[in-house]
Amino acid sequence: MAAAKKLMSVRRDWRERDVRVVLAALVIAVATVATIALFASQLQRTLVSSASSFLAADRQLEAENGRPVPSEWILEAQDRGLETGRMVEFSTMVFGNDAFQLVSVKAVSDEYPLRGEVEVQQDRDGNRQMVANGPAPGEVWINPRLLNLLQLDIGDTLEVGNRELTVSGLLIREPDGGFRLSSLAPRIMMHVDDVDSTGVVQEGSRVEFIYLFAGDEASLEAYYQWLEPKMEPSHEWEGVRDGETFSRSLERAERFLLLGGSLAVLLAAVAVAVASRQYALSQRDTVALLKTLGLPGPGIGRLYLRRLALWGLVGVAGGLALALPLFWLLVQMLADVLERPIDVYLDPNALAPALLTALVSLFAFAYPPIRRLRRVPAMRVLRAQPGETGREAIPDLVIALVAIFGLVWMYAGELTLVAALLGGLVLLLGVLALLGWALMTALKGVSGGGNAWRLALVGLYRHRQASLAQMAVFAMTLMLAATLVLVRTSLLNDWQAQLPADAPNHFLINIGPESVDQVESFWAERDAPLENVYPMVRGRLVELNGQPVKEAVSKDERINALNRELNLTWMAQPPENNEIVEGRWFARGETEGVSVEAELAGRLGLELGDRLTFTVGSERVTEPVTSIRTVQWDSMKPNFYMAFPPGGALSDLPATWITSFYLPEDRKTALNAFSRQFPTVSVLEVDHIIARIQQIVQQVTQAIEAILGLILAAALVVMAAVVSATLRDRQREGALLRTLGGQQSLLVRSTMLEFALLGFFAGVLGVLAAEGAVYVLQSRMFEGTFRWHWEVILPIPFISAVLLALFGRWQLGPVLKVSPMLLLRRLE
Amino acid sequence: MDQTTEFSQTEDSPMLRASDLTHQVNLETDPLTILQGVNLEINRGESVAIVGRSGSGKTTLLGLLAGLDTPSDGTVELDGAVISRLSEDERARLRASRVGFIFQSFQLLPALSALENVMLPLELAGIESAESRARELLERVGLGERLSHTPRQLSGGEQQRVAIARAFASDPAVLFADEPTGNLDNRTGQAVSDLLMDLNREQGTTLIMVTHDEHLAARCGRQLHIEAGILTEPEAARELAD
Repeated sequence: MAAAKKLMSVRRDWRERDVRVVLAALVIAVATVATIALFASQLQRTLVSSASSFLAADRQLEAENGRPVPSEWILEAQDRGLETGRMVEFSTMVFGNDAFQLVSVKAVSDEYPLRGEVEVQQDRDGNRQMVANGPAPGEVWINPRLLNLLQLDIGDTLEVGNRELTVSGLLIREPDGGFRLSSLAPRIMMHVDDVDSTGVVQEGSRVEFIYLFAGDEASLEAYYQWLEPKMEPSHEWEGVRDGETFSRSLERAERFLLLGGSLAVLLAAVAVAVASRQYALSQRDTVALLKTLGLPGPGIGRLYLRRLALWGLVGVAGGLALALPLFWLLVQMLADVLERPIDVYLDPNALAPALLTALVSLFAFAYPPIRRLRRVPAMRVLRAQPGETGREAIPDLVIALVAIFGLVWMYAGELTLVAALLGGLVLLLGVLALLGWALMTALKGVSGGGNAWRLALVGLYRHRQASLAQMAVFAMTLMLAATLVLVRTSLLNDWQAQLPADAPNHFLINIGPESVDQVESFWAERDAPLENVYPMVRGRLVELNGQPVKEAVSKDERINALNRELNLTWMAQPPENNEIVEGRWFARGETEGVSVEAELAGRLGLELGDRLTFTVGSERVTEPVTSIRTVQWDSMKPNFYMAFPPGGALSDLPATWITSFYLPEDRKTALNAFSRQFPTVSVLEVDHIIARIQQIVQQVTQAIEAILGLILAAALVVMAAVVSATLRDRQREGALLRTLGGQQSLLVRSTMLEFALLGFFAGVLGVLAAEGAVYVLQSRMFEGTFRWHWEVILPIPFISAVLLALFGRWQLGPVLKVSPMLLLRRLE
Repeated sequence: MDQTTEFSQTEDSPMLRASDLTHQVNLETDPLTILQGVNLEINRGESVAIVGRSGSGKTTLLGLLAGLDTPSDGTVELDGAVISRLSEDERARLRASRVGFIFQSFQLLPALSALENVMLPLELAGIESAESRARELLERVGLGERLSHTPRQLSGGEQQRVAIARAFASDPAVLFADEPTGNLDNRTGQAVSDLLMDLNREQGTTLIMVTHDEHLAARCGRQLHIEAGILTEPEAARELAD
């Protein structure tokens, strides 16, 4: 069957423009999906490992009750192949050359840190280095501020309890220097084996034992399943995903990647559908001839199915061949951003969505029009038969919609996303039908003439079916691309807005009531004004409507807030970034009630009017919930679960004040003067944490931009598919016009105008539909607030007009270069 | 119009028989009758020209006789099989084994070479020696040197010669030709019709041809006229009158 085989060979197919577009769309679909899936998996890994370093491990187990956990727990973890390490944290007074200072001690085992690195300076010249260990036994690393406070130098001795340790380095940054109120005083880091000899940690001392675990996700999860039933209330299991600040960034990044992937799938599917319909149309003569020569319908079906399968193979092979280098490039880019090499991780699971995409694209989008080829009448060889009316395509559309729905759902696992995108598309098609009708009614009156505008308008009207179809596809493409750009923009803006360059990077804690004013004027004089100063009372939530809170709340809920003392405050106005979602804020002079953070309220099942009882020292305070408000935890400002009114239940209890402010790196020496003047006020430096968050945001931004690039490439393929769909007709028309005496310049101008008009309307529609989709996504998926994006809405229709006009000019190319005679003959 | 007895040759049954053939198409307003009550018998080895003006219904008739389309009413019997009752796929199988075609616009597949175009029906009929048979036929039509050329590289006359080779390749019992010289100049048309008639004689094929070309029609053993969907046979009428 040499000839028949050749007829169906991919090499021969390749000579057909429509097949090239189908194959290109398939290759891009597979490549985009595979690249995104691979990269998302890699990014996830890298981000988690990068975020893991915030814990110095993948998980931490904290024992806040002052007792170490049973050693079997650790042995079990080791048996399960997990790496382990341990730390002991406590506060104590240390003695330097001639002064005492309260410090926060972190004593670490040899394994520390399991993730991330410690930045340390081991000489006075300021050479810093990153190391993957803590100090050796007998040595101590200290916060640089202690050099001045204790008149110490590197190599001197520091007394910690009964033990003398040699200062062998300055602790610049610890990976897990997290945002903890327990670490108030300047930090020193020593070896855990030296702790006993200090004699500081006694039965009943306030000390935290922290255990570090690292390993693969499955083992960690299995270990936690084993451990959980044994844990006491004072034990806390902490993973990266629990960390409020970072998990949000991660989640959003992941969602964005999924959104991008879904859009890429949609775009590719549209391209495949358009090109294969066109291909099917072009195959009708061949099918009619094959039937005339005696090939029955099933034989024709088999021929084309085999061909589809071949396309699928080529698409998958080509897509993967393209995906791997792209993925590698993205990883290199990520490595550049992170300034460290990355372990390339090829996740085999990431290939499944790519294969499925190819399969679905072929069978849900390419197959239906090709399947109908079997019905082409053999009589077509003798006489042109009525073409498709478009009504046959309705079942195709239904199949395609179901397939899109399923594919995106599988891909993103987000019903909201699917609904938003499909809603946007349906809205778009509805408006399009309306606009198309209006436009065509308006254009009906325009009659032909020698001027380019008239010709363009007449052209639009004469090709109204093709024009509307093209407008639909362009508008859809633009909508998808614009949705992505808009979500990206607002995502990045949100992040930047949350952490502006002058976001507070230092906290002052433990300010006595009498020194609040002095502290404020100290920093005001140094041009680093304080943000709001809040009173803070430590208390524990014990009862809910008179019932012990742990009984009142479902056992399934692990609520960290219940395991520790909460920071309670009172304030006249809620902080700017808090939003009351239920109830109302305290009226002036009102002294009753408490305002609860929304997420905690949700997990505790609180409603307005529920009575909460707290213990503060020996006092009990009971207040009804009068409002529920959201809190922006990653704002780097003091945030509170519970807020009381001024003059309310807390006002008479002993309180200290807390505040945050921005202090640039080069003015940090002012902290020494501050510590000397206010020795009891603790300074918490979070500038390094902020730098890390900004770094993560930057990584994610880069990834998003790379993916955006890929998707815009997919959009261009769709455009090419659509334009090439009418290429032959338009070229024939152009050649005819020239034959009939149309001037080249007129032809160029009217064609470009026609396409520009098409592009403009498609642009307007696409952007409007995109805003609709963004509205839903923004409010449901990314928790942002919606606003109109005029900076995108306004230019896109014009950009699309110019782009399409250029496309139109490009497809007119051969009409102008070749003699009309030759072209007409070639197009026969 | 039953003239079969006079032309009966090798076998008793006719190659093709059409009875009360009527064809209508449904337009938006009323149905349009294209053929009306056509009765026709064509014997084995006969060559028949159907002539008539544009729009007279001759192409429709050819399509129905060849089983490319089904009539609104009446039956077509091809080589003993009532093709108007066969399914489309059964008709296709019948065509593969018994029927050859030549078209006005040649209908060669542009992506295949001359040789491959001729091989195609042989392969579809499952004939093993497709290539040697195709070569042989292309040499017979004078294109032995152009085997690997694609239709675009051939002139109109050459393309029609490839199409003739293809039509005879599967050794059909009946050959349908739709304006075989319609797209060719006089001289080329003459050469192509010579070839067609020669091959037809050599192979003993039944030939049914639709044409405008009176010279070509005159070379057929029998001529049928069609006008406004009604078939008449002036030649036979004259014979009868004689």
